[in-house]
Amino acid sequence: MRNFEDDPTLSDLLTPDQLQRLSNGLSALCRAPVVISENRAGDAVPVEFNLETVGWLSGGASAVERGAAAELVSFLMLFVAKYRLAANIHHDTTEASYAELQRQNEALRASEAKYRELSDQLQQKVDEQVAVIRQTQQELYESARLRSVGHLAAGVAHEINNPVGFISSNLRVARDYVQNLEPLLPETAENWELLEDFHDLLNESIDGTDRIASIVADLKTFSSIDQADNALCDLNSLLRSACHLVQTEHDHRLNITENLAELPRIPGHPSRLSQTLFNLLDNAARAVGEDGRILVRTLADNTGIQVIIQDNGCGIPETIRSQVFDAFFTTRPVGSGTGLGLTVARDTVRAHGGQLTLDSQEGAGTRVVLSLPVQQGS
Amino acid sequence: MPDFSPEDNKLALKVVFYGPALSGKTTNLMQLHSLLNPERKGELMVLETRDDRTLFFDMLPIGLRSRSGLDLRLKLYTVPGQVQHDSTRKAVLSRADGVVFVADSQVAQQDNNAIAFGNLEDNLDKVGLDIDALPMVVQFNKRDLPAVVDEAELQARWAGTPWAPLAMASALQGTGVIETFRTLLDRLYTGIDAEFDLAGKHGIDRATFIGRLSASHGVDDA
Repeated sequence: MRNFEDDPTLSDLLTPDQLQRLSNGLSALCRAPVVISENRAGDAVPVEFNLETVGWLSGGASAVERGAAAELVSFLMLFVAKYRLAANIHHDTTEASYAELQRQNEALRASEAKYRELSDQLQQKVDEQVAVIRQTQQELYESARLRSVGHLAAGVAHEINNPVGFISSNLRVARDYVQNLEPLLPETAENWELLEDFHDLLNESIDGTDRIASIVADLKTFSSIDQADNALCDLNSLLRSACHLVQTEHDHRLNITENLAELPRIPGHPSRLSQTLFNLLDNAARAVGEDGRILVRTLADNTGIQVIIQDNGCGIPETIRSQVFDAFFTTRPVGSGTGLGLTVARDTVRAHGGQLTLDSQEGAGTRVVLSLPVQQGS
Repeated sequence: MPDFSPEDNKLALKVVFYGPALSGKTTNLMQLHSLLNPERKGELMVLETRDDRTLFFDMLPIGLRSRSGLDLRLKLYTVPGQVQHDSTRKAVLSRADGVVFVADSQVAQQDNNAIAFGNLEDNLDKVGLDIDALPMVVQFNKRDLPAVVDEAELQARWAGTPWAPLAMASALQGTGVIETFRTLLDRLYTGIDAEFDLAGKHGIDRATFIGRLSASHGVDDA
């Protein structure tokens, strides 16, 4: 690579045409033709520029003529070279500046792209946060509503319990009375039919009151309105109540198989455990739809209690399996799922010193194992 | 870096006069041109100026030929001092073998000196030269002016640097210019001799190097 400061050669300074013209001019001035060349010939004298021999001048009629001609050419070279040097350095610096400018432009573009990306990300983050806040607000509102509905239901259940109790007992007494009245009536076909119908009416009413009583019992268990915050819990009974409630939610169409072993009572928060069991069963119910089966099993050994809720429903896709315990993560349409069911379940189980594990295969079903220690915390 | 071409047995060295605008770099070169009478001296090329300010650079080639036939050249360059010509300064500075930093002695110009010195450091760094390894002389010019910083103060300020003692000059009057140049030749010789064995191979010892390149008309003129 040539630098601007490299000593110029004759061909750097003059084009062949210019060199020819110069030779012609000098030849006209001298008495014999003059030749300027980069190679040394017989009688040639050096043409010097900046201590550098740039060429050789031969010809002319005498050494004096050659010397004068060479001096003239050197003098001309000075100005040619000046221009050449200035042009070269101008070219060099312009190129360097341009390269620098391009580098800066590149850097600027890169940083602009970076900031644009950052700003996009920022907008996206803000949108995400706004969505989370909105959903949380909605959920808070819904959970508050649910809580108050729960209280209302529990209160109503409590109030209904007494009347249902005496209605039920009165109905049974009434059935006995009807039985006692039966021999006293004349035996006609009409009377006989009447009594038969009366019997059926009372029996159906007793069934109805039994069902009311059972629902009220479940509601009471579930909302634990009459239980202390911390009590000895019978998980089997909590589980049964939860199953009934889920059945009620799903119009008694679920195929739930209960296989409950005898369990020791464990200390805990009955309402929170009920909520947990309900959440797990509700998930299973939603996973199986109308044709599936749900198996509920309890086991006990020296170390603890296990509740296993297994379904043959849709399962959990692998891609979201790591997220199912995240708060507000839900696959259900907005408004129908809080995204808190499993979160609350896991937190509750942990609060009881236990563990909640989830085993699922997409399309095959899900198995949830809830383990609780018998001797909690001591 | 020294440019040695073995086929021509030619060694070309480059010395750059650097410094703030209007500190007298071109004047230094013009004085060297008229005061020096080395063996070989080319034309002073003042490339282009506008209002007497250097636009590109000035260049003065001098040289000597040793008995061994070594063609030793020294090209003295000035850079444009004005801030806006930085890319030209960088281009001229590249591959320099020695630097004369021409500072302005006037009290009011000390900030400009510092800025220019910082610029020299930056540009040396950019062209791949190390300011601590490069032979350099710092000259405080314009000693003939009234409002100049006291010499003792300047010398004390620079005492801890590799460039002490400073050279004092009044380029316009022609004083101190050759002394500055000789100091530079002295500092330049060490590295060149180590690399090319000037004394051993070419019979150019330190005194010859300095003496023959900076021979002056002084004796005749006096």
